[in-house]
Amino acid sequence: MGKMTKLLDKPLKAFTIYAFVILSLSIPAYYWVVETVWQKELDEHNLIIKERIVSQLQNLLLTQAQFDSVTHIWNVLQSGTRIFPENQPFKKSDSTYLVMRKNKHKKHTEIDRFRGLASHIHFKGKRYSLWIETNVEEADEIVYIISVVSLFFFVLLALGFIFLNRTIAQKAWRPFEKTLEQLKSFDLSATETIDFEKTEIQEFEDLHNTLQKMLYAAISAYKQQKTFIENASHELQTPLAILRSKVDLFYQLPELNEAQLQVLEGIEKPLARVSRINKNLLLLAKIENHQFENVEILDVGGMINDILELLQDYAESKNLRIQVRLEARPDIRGNKFLIETLLYNLLTNAIRYTSEEGEIVIFLDSQQLYVQNTGIISLNPAHIFRRFSVSSSEQVSSGLGLAIAKEICHRYNWKMGYAFDMNKHQFKVLF
Amino acid sequence: MKILIIEDEKELAYAMGAYLADENYLCELAFTLEDARQKLACHTYDCVLLDLMLPDGSGLDLLATMNHQQRLEGVIILSAKNSVEDKVKGLQLGADDYLPKPFHQSELLARIYSVIRRKNFNNLNTVQFEEIEINLLSKNVKVNDQEINLTRKEFDLLVFFISNKNKVISKSALAEYLSGDIADMFDNHDFVYAHIKNLKKKLLEVGGNNYLKTLYGVGYKWEK
Repeated sequence: MGKMTKLLDKPLKAFTIYAFVILSLSIPAYYWVVETVWQKELDEHNLIIKERIVSQLQNLLLTQAQFDSVTHIWNVLQSGTRIFPENQPFKKSDSTYLVMRKNKHKKHTEIDRFRGLASHIHFKGKRYSLWIETNVEEADEIVYIISVVSLFFFVLLALGFIFLNRTIAQKAWRPFEKTLEQLKSFDLSATETIDFEKTEIQEFEDLHNTLQKMLYAAISAYKQQKTFIENASHELQTPLAILRSKVDLFYQLPELNEAQLQVLEGIEKPLARVSRINKNLLLLAKIENHQFENVEILDVGGMINDILELLQDYAESKNLRIQVRLEARPDIRGNKFLIETLLYNLLTNAIRYTSEEGEIVIFLDSQQLYVQNTGIISLNPAHIFRRFSVSSSEQVSSGLGLAIAKEICHRYNWKMGYAFDMNKHQFKVLF
Repeated sequence: MKILIIEDEKELAYAMGAYLADENYLCELAFTLEDARQKLACHTYDCVLLDLMLPDGSGLDLLATMNHQQRLEGVIILSAKNSVEDKVKGLQLGADDYLPKPFHQSELLARIYSVIRRKNFNNLNTVQFEEIEINLLSKNVKVNDQEINLTRKEFDLLVFFISNKNKVISKSALAEYLSGDIADMFDNHDFVYAHIKNLKKKLLEVGGNNYLKTLYGVGYKWEK
């Protein structure tokens, strides 16, 4: 699975990228607009200055000598304009230009940009050049300022998007998030449907209705299955009890010969197996039906020792070495019968599947319990906790022991796991 | 000894009656709660075997009535429900034992034996079988007045055999008696043989007779 994106972040990302592109494109556009307007304005400004100079000079009625000294002083004082005799023989018409120049009057060497008007005036029949220059902001400064402003607005936009997104998420999507939460915590075995909150959004209401229908169907199928198993195994109890009592009676018939007795024994064994399967199915159904609610504080270490005493005969007949390591004696809260069943199943399993002369380690501390036994190949961890998965070829197993153990752990929110390492099976319960 | 079997499954009731019927036990059958009430009104019994799910009501109600009337019968509940709640409730209402179905007849007989003994011989807990004397409370065994040392399992086996005398008991029934529910998890019940061998040896060592007959390695019979 790749990186997951939240539904709401998708448009947010797109909006943000779009805003960024548009604002970036706006920078040259703004530059062009500002530059054009500015130059036009400055050209007009320069022209006005020129006209004022021309009209003022005519009004002054200067002599040639006066004019020369005035223009000289003018050129010194008014650095923005220069008037000087024209040398070129040809007549140039008015023109505008841009020039970059160092500012002579400032100490630091800053380069300024000027917009100029190269024109001419006539005095006493002579042509004079008139240059008027006005300081204009440099291009890079304009771009810089526009960029800063654009960036500022972009940040404003992005923040706005995120804020709006959050607000929308919290408001409009809240029912959806809630539904999702409820679905995540849904537990089929609790057989309780979910009450979805009423929403005013059509799609969500549709979603809720559809989900409700599906949940009802799933729950009723699950209930039916459970009731079926419970009823079926209940119904089987009585005929099994009759069968067993009849076999016991049969043993009492006078003068049974060896062959007859062996047939009887052959009947008794599968009968015991059916009884156990049935008992376990009933137990599983009961655990799933949330029976055994009584909880008490249990000394698991003591229970392990009690069970091992019961199993001692079986362990001894296989010459198993059993090592019990009770590092701590935690008080575990649980139903006595269920915890006993869990321990029984784990321990009988270990004893049954360990080959002769094998070793079993039982470890208990406040966090975990594990049962380790020697083995040759790993079991399939994906299958062992399923019903009837391991033992179809086994003679006496019910195939339900580990499924029951897992179900009991599930009841108390304990984690049950299996591992195979260095020729050892390990079944572990994390409290 | 009179025993009332209250069980609506007739086949099961007959089978129990047939197994129990020897010189010591006289069985009467009741298939409904009403039937059982009438029988209890007219007679007293040594032990009542009570199924909990009866067609006309729950056996627990009858048990409550009997408890109220302070009747002296020992009561063993037989239940297919195998529920912890029923067991606790039944024992609280004065039942003496609880046996989940399906069970071995020999197990039932052993339970009846111990219930009757507890009820009839208040505090006198000794059982005499020929030269063997068993104290059920202190778990001491004497043969010809000579005390012998038995392990818990050997002791349990001895009591089991004596309460089932003249019955053929299969090896798997013995295994189930010794190790409870888990016996059917294992297919090898040879350890039963080892315990029986030790028990026999200890009894013979102090001059006891051999009452135990082995039937082709399949079952055992304690014969008088």
